[in-house]
Amino acid sequence: MSAFPPSPFVALYRTILGAVATRSRIAALGALGAGASLVGLAIGLSDPFRPDRAGVLYVNGVGLSVLVPVVALVFAAATFGDLSEDATLVYLWLRPLPRWHLALAAYGAALTVTLPLTVVPLCLGVALTGAGLAVVAGTAAAVTAGVVAYAALFCALGLRFQRALAWGLAYILIWEGFVAQAGRGASRLAIRAYTRSILTEASGIRLRLANVSILTGMVVPAVVALVAIAYTSYRLRRHDVP
Amino acid sequence: MTATVPGAGPSVSLERVSKWFGDIVAVSEVSFALGPGVTALLGPNGAGKSTVLRIMCGLTPASQGHVAILGENPRTQVSAARQIGLVPQQEGLFERHTALAFVRLAAVLHRLEDPEGAARRALAIVELDADASQPVGTFSKGMRQRVKVAQALVHDPHVLVLDEPLNGLDPRQRLHLIELFGRLGAEGRCVIVSSHVLDEVERFGSRILVIAHGRLAAEGDFRAIRNLMDDRPRQFRLRTDKPHDLGAHLFGWGLASRVGVDPDGSLLVETTNAPRLRISLAPLARDCGATITEVEPLDEDLESVFRYLVGRG
Repeated sequence: MSAFPPSPFVALYRTILGAVATRSRIAALGALGAGASLVGLAIGLSDPFRPDRAGVLYVNGVGLSVLVPVVALVFAAATFGDLSEDATLVYLWLRPLPRWHLALAAYGAALTVTLPLTVVPLCLGVALTGAGLAVVAGTAAAVTAGVVAYAALFCALGLRFQRALAWGLAYILIWEGFVAQAGRGASRLAIRAYTRSILTEASGIRLRLANVSILTGMVVPAVVALVAIAYTSYRLRRHDVP
Repeated sequence: MTATVPGAGPSVSLERVSKWFGDIVAVSEVSFALGPGVTALLGPNGAGKSTVLRIMCGLTPASQGHVAILGENPRTQVSAARQIGLVPQQEGLFERHTALAFVRLAAVLHRLEDPEGAARRALAIVELDADASQPVGTFSKGMRQRVKVAQALVHDPHVLVLDEPLNGLDPRQRLHLIELFGRLGAEGRCVIVSSHVLDEVERFGSRILVIAHGRLAAEGDFRAIRNLMDDRPRQFRLRTDKPHDLGAHLFGWGLASRVGVDPDGSLLVETTNAPRLRISLAPLARDCGATITEVEPLDEDLESVFRYLVGRG
């Protein structure tokens, strides 16, 4: 018997992390990240006229638009999606713990696996384009902010919908990729507007519909995450546990 | 393990509980209160047993009615989970965990002081090796069932809810768990076991709840329920040297509604008044010079009770 009993929260976190971080998922999304890094290398080898601008466009087009939301979707939606699908959620739900512990543990597990699989390949990729340190730092900040928001949103989505991957992809492609590109007002309702703004502010290179301050760009994704975690906790109280 | 009896009210109470999914009524106006001891929840697949158990544990809300576990609402009060040990029907486990890790997880989430020790004790109860290194994903169905029972027992709950817990177990393991459930009930816990396997239910104990078509078709002692059904036709097989003569007498005296002779020579009798038949059989046999060597009730088993109740429900 150890002096300090293990923390239930840590046990929840480890269990969910172990359930979602399967070898096949990590291999597939690691390969996607490696592919993104290779794109950066290819851009760098093409000797771009303005490396910083090429790097920012690369991060915006490959990272913030595709890699970050997709990797976050796969892992975050799987937290509650997998647990519901294989009916193991009951072993975590029917315990005398506040529901927000479960929501936060799932979010933490999604962050743990999503952050390295997005930040590392994109920072490496943008460095390989030949962009400067400011762009690399901006990439790290923008990707982190994106993961913080997307992971929380998609955890909630995984709990709410059975086909969370399909709903998430629809959100990424239709809302963030199309509707929110229509104008400044609509873009404020997309995470990408804030991550793009962080990148723009850090690099000094303008991107379309990237028009909020760096502070707003950091705060809004954090607020989105808090609201999504609160919603997940609320849904867990009302959830039909399989 | 020691029994604790928190409070004096019923351990489990359902009051006019209904559950519907759109237009489909899964559970309709079910009410019962359970105290210590083993209660068997009986019904065919799809009758609503699992839904009742899930409502009881708070996993799904009742569309209508009230549920209480030791006075607490299991849906809204997470503290109620301390008193509930559930063995769900679903097969899913954390496949990469060992049995010890899986049960220890439950102990940790229940904030037990010595989760490792509690997990080892629970695994010992279900006769599983706590030091086995293989993950539960490689376990047989019977071993998986026992792991599920161990995680339900690990925090020594007052209410134990077991949804088809004997599925996949071999006869020796079944006997062991039936004895275990009986012991837990005798220690003062409220043990609710669902099953559609009728001979299993008979061995769990005499108290049963019969769910048919989402409704509580019968509740109480198995034999008492049978006594409520004396108006239904019941069948007996009589071994006698004069089956045709005795059959004619029984029919003629109005003691049998139907008679027949089996190819093996035994007399099959269906009656709507079993007590009168039992009293009158010996004098009638004497009157017609028949010798009766055996009287075998053909529908005293639980299955016949169940069929009757389901048909009636």
